[in-house]
Amino acid sequence: MPSLPSSVDLDECIARLYKKELLAESVIEAICAKTKELLMRESNVVHVQAPVTVVGDIHGQFYDLIEIFRIGGWCPDTNYLFLGDYVDRGMFSVETISLLVCLKLRYPDRIHLIRGNHESRGVTQSYGFYTECVRKYNSANIWHHFTDLFDYLTLSVVINNQIFCVHGGLSPSIHSIDQIKVIDRYREIPHEGPMADLVWSDPDPERDEFSLSPRGAGYTFGAQVVQKFLSVNNMVHILRAHQLCQEGYQTLFDDRLSTVWSAPNYCYRCGNMASVLEVDSNGGRFFNIFAAAPENDQVKDMQMPDKMNPGGEPGALPDYFL
Amino acid sequence: MSAPSIPNLLSLRGTGRGRGRGRGGGTPGGTSAATGSSHDSTIQGTDTDAALSRLSAVELGYLSDPFATLFTGGQPNQPHSALPPPRRLPIINRGTYTRTTGIDLLVDSFLSSTDASRTRQILSLGAGTDTRAFRLFSSPSSHTNISYHEIDFPSIIARKQHIIQTSPSTLSSFLYQKPNPSNPLNSPPHPTSSSFSFAFESDGPSRNNNNTLHLHPLDLRSFPECPLSRFDSLSSAHPTLIISECCLCYLAPATTTRILEHLGRLFPQSAMVIYEPILPHDPFGKMMVSNLAARGIVMPTLTEYPTQQSQEERLRAEGGFTEVRSKTIDRVWEDWVSPGEKERIDGLEGGLDEVEEWKLLAGHYLIAWGWRGSGMGKGLDIDVSRGDEGGDGDDTE
Repeated sequence: MPSLPSSVDLDECIARLYKKELLAESVIEAICAKTKELLMRESNVVHVQAPVTVVGDIHGQFYDLIEIFRIGGWCPDTNYLFLGDYVDRGMFSVETISLLVCLKLRYPDRIHLIRGNHESRGVTQSYGFYTECVRKYNSANIWHHFTDLFDYLTLSVVINNQIFCVHGGLSPSIHSIDQIKVIDRYREIPHEGPMADLVWSDPDPERDEFSLSPRGAGYTFGAQVVQKFLSVNNMVHILRAHQLCQEGYQTLFDDRLSTVWSAPNYCYRCGNMASVLEVDSNGGRFFNIFAAAPENDQVKDMQMPDKMNPGGEPGALPDYFL
Repeated sequence: MSAPSIPNLLSLRGTGRGRGRGRGGGTPGGTSAATGSSHDSTIQGTDTDAALSRLSAVELGYLSDPFATLFTGGQPNQPHSALPPPRRLPIINRGTYTRTTGIDLLVDSFLSSTDASRTRQILSLGAGTDTRAFRLFSSPSSHTNISYHEIDFPSIIARKQHIIQTSPSTLSSFLYQKPNPSNPLNSPPHPTSSSFSFAFESDGPSRNNNNTLHLHPLDLRSFPECPLSRFDSLSSAHPTLIISECCLCYLAPATTTRILEHLGRLFPQSAMVIYEPILPHDPFGKMMVSNLAARGIVMPTLTEYPTQQSQEERLRAEGGFTEVRSKTIDRVWEDWVSPGEKERIDGLEGGLDEVEEWKLLAGHYLIAWGWRGSGMGKGLDIDVSRGDEGGDGDDTE
């Protein structure tokens, strides 16, 4: 595998990103190309061993990502599994995905990144990442670098051969985990089919079977679907993200499935808690709950909408129905 | 996060989508004769926010409103014209659609339950840049005998009047200023408002539909020293629908109580529709209050009427409405938007990923309405789920 250009010092990049500094476009391009080669060799189902700390949606909330490292331990001292949705909605998607990609490249066995439904060209055009890239780099080039890289992210992880981890949920066309392994994942997330379902679906405690999702993509799935999937695949638990939980996490179906949500005060508007799930070496699960990092308030104060600069950087303050 | 600069990639493909106007920029709060305080201009700025949200929803196909572009430009000759229109997030667009559709339904119900051969009044408080009157007057359903009244700060009224008078064919084809001597309307100069009202006659698709639009410059805080009865064109004799779409929520509760009581005395046969936020005390509500406060926006009535029940009780006790109903925006979407229309809306931006957030946000806004007087309940007692029956706007229950 060819190495990074000698001008790119990965550790220095990481140090700068921890300080929320942006990397040069050429550096991003080189790092994305290199990470692509790394991800290309990962299976659609990556097996990892506990202990590992599992992180749900981040959505560009960079300060809260740093808070996670403060609470859960820094990389590579703590093993991390991220369940996707790194970008969109928050103000610092570029910084967030830049840092996570650099950490992945630097410590490939210590950090794993699963693809979420927002790691997509289509969704990032509606939900903020595209705009943020253009605003911060004056061109869409780095959006192309990152979204091309997203096509290579794995779709699922299995911890200790017993916990199945995915961004969204199950699919009516996937009974056995082996069926995930044969998906051609190196592409934009399609509108339907097993790959779409894995990143879009949600559990529904009110139902037993699959039904149409209110999101317009993926399915909702009930208790019997979960039970059957676990027994067919000899697993004990499904771990996923994708849905905002006011308490930061939610456990369903007699502890057979849990949702971990890692964006506190989501979109600076929802007032919710967040959590990371720490899986110990015996497979025990512990939700570590946290609130929004204090740095978020400084941003709110600093970036009041500026009527004198209507084309400038938008404020951190979210929209309401006024 | 704030979304005003998300480009509409779809709209960038074409060239003829009316992108010639920039963000609203500052509203002319500084020129207000009533007050020049920054809080006033902040509140007036929420109208710009609403106008931009409406434009976003229109550009993306949520709503059909040929008048939405009229009120989103800067001041005349301001150099912001090169900016593309704002694109709001899907969740905000759906909210704009739902609230507009819900209030439209109640307006239609009011019009269809009152005698179309006699004058019906609509009184919109803090109407700002609202386009509802234009949409009604130009709609193919040929509503007749509507006397539509809008009340707002003098500076807002002046700007709206200017836009109507100078607008291209969009408006002038069916709206023209009433000739003297009936305009300007009477009433002596008042220290807190300029003295002129503006009336426009409508000449809609079917001629002689006898619709008029009246713009009244009035700071609502001047109640009751400056009562509505001073406007000759408003009559207590006509059935009247009063609309407060995010208006009363910016006033002190004591003031809104006075306004509701005043309206109750003035219009014996009337209905009222209020659109406002609720639930300031749960985590989402607390964050909403704090975020809005950071933008300088305070809604004093939010803590006074924090729930659906208290909003209904307010209409009953203060407005004197004998029958009251309410629905959160979430329920309006669920109950009043037909399955086919839901599917169309969901398809506009490739599905709504923000399902949980939508429930939270839409659950914190409501439409409350009440009515009194003979015949008013015929159309306004809408509790059935339109989504289930798939009916259209003429259904009454």
